[in-house]
Amino acid sequence: MLQFVLDTLLRTADLALVALGLSMVYGLARFPNVAHVQYALVGAYAAYAVQAMGGNLAAGVLLSCLATGALAVLLGMAVFDRLLRAGPAYAMIGSLAVSMLLIALVLGLAGSAPRSYPLAIAAPMALGRARIAPLQLAAIAASAAIVGLYALMLFRSRLGRALRAIASNRALASACGLNVAACTAATHFLSGMLAAFGGAMLAMNTGAHVNLGNDLLLPVFAAAVLGGLGNPLGAVFGALLIAATETAFTSVNVGWLWGEPVGFLPVGYIGAASFAILLLALVLRPHGLFDREVRRV
Amino acid sequence: MAFHVPRSLLLPLLFAGAVAGAQAQPVRIGAILPLTGASASIGEDQRRGIELAVEQLNAAGGVLGRPFAVLIEDSGGRAPTALDAARKLASVDRVPLVLGEYSSGISIPVGQYLVKEGITHVNIGSSSPKMREIGATSFSVIGLDDVSAKFAAEDVRAAGHARAAFIAPNSAYGQGVAAEFKKNFEAAGGKVVAELLYTPGQSTYRRELQQTARLQPDVYVYSAYGQEAAVINREAYDLALNKTPWYGIYLTMCTTDTPAQIANGQLGMEVGDIGPKGEGYRQAYRQKYQEDLKSAYGSYAYDGVMLAAAAIARAGSAEPAGVLAAMAEVGKDFEAATGPIAFDADGQRAVQPYNRVRYQDGVVAR
Repeated sequence: MLQFVLDTLLRTADLALVALGLSMVYGLARFPNVAHVQYALVGAYAAYAVQAMGGNLAAGVLLSCLATGALAVLLGMAVFDRLLRAGPAYAMIGSLAVSMLLIALVLGLAGSAPRSYPLAIAAPMALGRARIAPLQLAAIAASAAIVGLYALMLFRSRLGRALRAIASNRALASACGLNVAACTAATHFLSGMLAAFGGAMLAMNTGAHVNLGNDLLLPVFAAAVLGGLGNPLGAVFGALLIAATETAFTSVNVGWLWGEPVGFLPVGYIGAASFAILLLALVLRPHGLFDREVRRV
Repeated sequence: MAFHVPRSLLLPLLFAGAVAGAQAQPVRIGAILPLTGASASIGEDQRRGIELAVEQLNAAGGVLGRPFAVLIEDSGGRAPTALDAARKLASVDRVPLVLGEYSSGISIPVGQYLVKEGITHVNIGSSSPKMREIGATSFSVIGLDDVSAKFAAEDVRAAGHARAAFIAPNSAYGQGVAAEFKKNFEAAGGKVVAELLYTPGQSTYRRELQQTARLQPDVYVYSAYGQEAAVINREAYDLALNKTPWYGIYLTMCTTDTPAQIANGQLGMEVGDIGPKGEGYRQAYRQKYQEDLKSAYGSYAYDGVMLAAAAIARAGSAEPAGVLAAMAEVGKDFEAATGPIAFDADGQRAVQPYNRVRYQDGVVAR
């Protein structure tokens, strides 16, 4: 049971920060940024590059977050803001193109072979019968801390209030004297940083690899939609739900179905499980689980 | 009165005359090796094996009283290049026999082309069970994966393990090895409690490993390509699954990309580089290249050339049809550097020597 909780939290940590940033940008810019998951890819490789040049993990992650944040701002201003004038559908198609360009760029610079971070190998810790590696525990803790900080920012700071105001009514906020352009840039920067951090943490365990972004695409979108697009903390909850579903799907013993004492559903169908949940949620609650809260922000 | 001489008597006479007339004309066969590309280091070792065999044959007077030569072509590690090379060897050089290549994915099309041309193909480095289906004129001097899985199954069972988890890629290779392993392990009284055929190229196999662990195997038997094996080994380590023994089929392949700290102590098997009669080869290799055998594949290339020379000598000519018939005969019982070679009904090596090996600090050794 403890292993189930740990696995769920671990998977939530993988998804939460990226889903959070995606939902945040949607709240302000009103378009689903497909390239967002590729910021995680860029962040993972940037953190690797710093380490390959002699930096340590902390320096790698920090520099990678800053660089990816800057990239997100640049793309936001140079590409997405312009496309948005034509409509959100154009912006989304544009983000798909950016997504492919980013993958091609990483592939060209780093090659297709995965790159593992040069980290010391530490023996896993035992918590009862459950096992968890120290780095994985650190990843869970860091994600939780960042989500906490983000919530504080959103509900306790001037920037947070401004963001909420713009998300709720862009024209009114602008008329009240809020600098919408600056707030949008700040949002792009934050979302890029969060995605880079999430990507780097993923890569700590699996290595940086070209499919890192694409593998995130579906579960992260599912989490963000489940939480109600534009509701960042809802996206974190959505990530938790997706993670729990996935973990349950692969770890519940269903051997009785075919008369074996122990048996499991194949891991290959895991995507189907989270999408069944997503579909169900969309049919029953088309605006996500926290519809009312979103409209009230 | 008509004087009739059977053709079978006449032909050798004609050839004897031709040979006497062209003493310097060498007997030639072909070889296609990955001298460049991803497998270039293996290709170079194959080339060494061939070079040594040719030198030894010529020092002993050549073949059919003529000098012996192997025309070596580079495949570049690509099937189209290898096929071009095969076409050149068949139509320009008109060799009766071609050795090669290393990767199964290249050896198979090359072999199929040669079979169609009626030229003998000798596989010196590929182990896919699909090699068996190339055709009647294709032979293997290296054991295919049905033989390797049998060795592994018996080895693991002999070590006292009864409940094995088997891990391999979900590919033609993995499925083939998995089926053979299960068959042989269960025939020896063990049970394969979990069979994990993973999707190649994923970044994580954690869930699959957790499912496998729940079935409580007492040994993990796996065969995975370098990078995928690295992910599997790392995640198994994080889940503390390495407290249970791990056994690698082709252990060198399984451990090349894995950190030593994680892979240390893994057991496994590798193709044997040298048989009881192979010491002479090993010494000649050391003398010429000033190092120990770089891989087992040089030995198989050496054996391939020696077998081909023996077949040509028995055929009494370098005519493709004769060489083919002689190859089937010679291959019934041939004392080679990698151990005795005896072809089964399909022309594949039936008994293949393997070594039981152990990984420690980057070295796979007996």
